[in-house]
Amino acid sequence: MVDKNVKTYYDVICPFCGTLCDDLEIDVDQKEQKVVEVRNGCQIGTRKFYSSNPSEHRYTTPLIRENGSFKETSWDEAIDKAADILVKAKRPLLYGFASTECDAQAKGVELAEILGGILDNTASVCHGPTLLAEQDVGVPTSTLGEYKNRADLVIFWGSNPVHAHPRHLGRYSDFVRGYFRQDGRNDRFIVVVDPRNTNTAQIADLYIRVNPNEDYELFNAIRATLRGVEIDEKEVAGVPKDDIVKLVNIMKDSHYGVIFFGMGLTQTISHHRNIDAAVCLTRELNNYTKFLITPMRGHYNITGANAVFTWNTGYAYSMDFSRGYARYNPGEFSSVDVLMRDEIDASLIVASDPASNFPAGAVKNMFKHPLISIEPHHTPTSVNADIILPAAFAGIETEGTAYRMDHVPLRLRKVKDPPGNVLSDKKILERLIEKVKEKKGE
Amino acid sequence: MSLNNLILITGRTINQGVALEGGKTTRENVRAAGICAFDKNDFIKLNCLAGTPVKVITDFGEVLVYSTISEEGPHPGIIFIPMGPWANQVVNPDSQSSGTPTFKGIKARVEVVKNAKVLDAVQLISKLKESN
Repeated sequence: MVDKNVKTYYDVICPFCGTLCDDLEIDVDQKEQKVVEVRNGCQIGTRKFYSSNPSEHRYTTPLIRENGSFKETSWDEAIDKAADILVKAKRPLLYGFASTECDAQAKGVELAEILGGILDNTASVCHGPTLLAEQDVGVPTSTLGEYKNRADLVIFWGSNPVHAHPRHLGRYSDFVRGYFRQDGRNDRFIVVVDPRNTNTAQIADLYIRVNPNEDYELFNAIRATLRGVEIDEKEVAGVPKDDIVKLVNIMKDSHYGVIFFGMGLTQTISHHRNIDAAVCLTRELNNYTKFLITPMRGHYNITGANAVFTWNTGYAYSMDFSRGYARYNPGEFSSVDVLMRDEIDASLIVASDPASNFPAGAVKNMFKHPLISIEPHHTPTSVNADIILPAAFAGIETEGTAYRMDHVPLRLRKVKDPPGNVLSDKKILERLIEKVKEKKGE
Repeated sequence: MSLNNLILITGRTINQGVALEGGKTTRENVRAAGICAFDKNDFIKLNCLAGTPVKVITDFGEVLVYSTISEEGPHPGIIFIPMGPWANQVVNPDSQSSGTPTFKGIKARVEVVKNAKVLDAVQLISKLKESN
C-alpha cells in the first residue's frame, strides 16, 4: 500500500564522497520530515541520509559552554559570543569546508579576509600534496564519464575504492559497461599498486605490492623502463624488475589508460613528489597511448572547496590573511603545521572534525584556545567546543552546488527540512560576518 | 608478548566510514576504528586471541586498540589502524612542508595488554584537552 505521507525524491546527489553519485532515491515522510528509505546508495551514503533524522546525536539548538557544561541559548547570543571570540583573536583559524556547499565556502573566505585569519580546508590533510604537484607539473586529466566509456586500463595506486569510494567501481571504473567498453569488466584490465592486498587488489587483474613509503622509487623505475633503460637492480621498492617491465608493457599496449590515486601517495613520505612522479609518468605515457590521471577525492565537496577558494583568492588551501591579502604557503599556513607550532588563538571549524582527523599534538594545541564548531552532529570536536552552532546538512536539508572529484559541478537537492532550530552553514556564516563587521565598526 | 619493527599504515575502511556518520561518539566507532589489523602470521607471534587489546607505540605516541586479523592481507610486517582518533595518537605530524602529515608508513611496535578497555573517541580526545 502506498503511504500518502511518503514522497519519493529521484536522482538525488549523495553528499558523502567525491564520487558524488547522482542516482539516489530517497523516501521522506512528509509529516515527520524523516528519511524512511534510501535506495541505490552505498553503505556510507545511505547511513548519512538516515543520520540526518532527529536523534540524540543531532544538535537542534545553539549551545554555549558554561562552567564545563553546555547550556542552550538563542542564535543571537551564540552568534554574538562567537563573533566576540573571533574579533578578539589575533590569529584565528578557519578550517573545514569540505562537507558543505560552495556558497557557504565562499562565505568562509569572506569571513577569513575580514578577520585577517588563517583559512584552510580539509585538502590540507588529504590531497593538498596533489594540488602542490599539479601547480608544479600540471595534470593531464578528464571526467569520469570519459573513463567509463573509453578506459581499457585502470590503475588504482594507493587508493582503495571498495572502502573509500564504494560505488566508483560500479559507476565509472570497473564493472560498468561503457560506450566503447560494452563488455564492462571483461573489457578493462585493472591494476592495483598498494602495500596491502586490499579488497580492491583482490578483484584486480594484477596486484603489485610496493614497499611502504617507496612509491616514488617505483614511479621512477617505471619511467626509466619506459624510456628503454635497463634497471640494474633485481627489484625496486619491493617490486621485481620483471613485474616492472610487465607493467610498462601493459601500459604501452593499452588504448586508453587512467591512474586513480589516493592517500597512499599523498600521506606517505615524499608527499607531493610522489604525485609529481605520477603526473610525469602519465605525461610520458602519452608518447605511446592515451593516458590520464585523477585523484580520488574524499569528502564530497573538497574539490569545490579548492575551486571556490581559488576563484576567490587565487589559492586552493593553506592561506593567511593577516596582512589583509591572501598569502599561500603549505607547511607554514597549513592547519596542522600552525597548530603544531601553537600559533593559533581561536578556531572556527565548519563542517569538519579535526579533533578526530588531526595528529594528537595539533588537537592538543587547538583545545588550548576558544573553539567554535558549526556542526550537525556530536563529534569529538564539537563536544570539546566552547560554542556549537547547529547546522543543516547540505545536500539533504539545503540546496547548493558541489564539485565531483573530476571538477564536474552538480546541484545538490533538498529532500527534507532540518530539525529544530537549525540554520544552513551559509546562513550561519552570513550572520557571523554581519556581527563581526558590526563589532569591528565596519 | 610484543612485536617490533612493524610499519603502521592508516586509512579509510567502510565500517569506519559508516560509523562516522552519526555515530562518532558511540562504541560502534570504537569497533570500527579503535582496532589494529595484523597480518595473519604476524598475529600468531603475538600468542593471543583476536580482540585482545594491544598497545601500538611509535616515536610520536602510543594508543590502546583492539587487535584483529586483517582481511586485506597478507601484508607481513605491516599493521593497519583505520583513520580516526586512535590512529592519530601515533601518526607522524610532520608534513614535510606540504601541509599533510605523514599518516602512513610509520615505524611502530606493539605490546599485548590483557584486561584493558579501549577508550571511546570522546574519552580519548577529551584526555588531550584535560592534559592542557
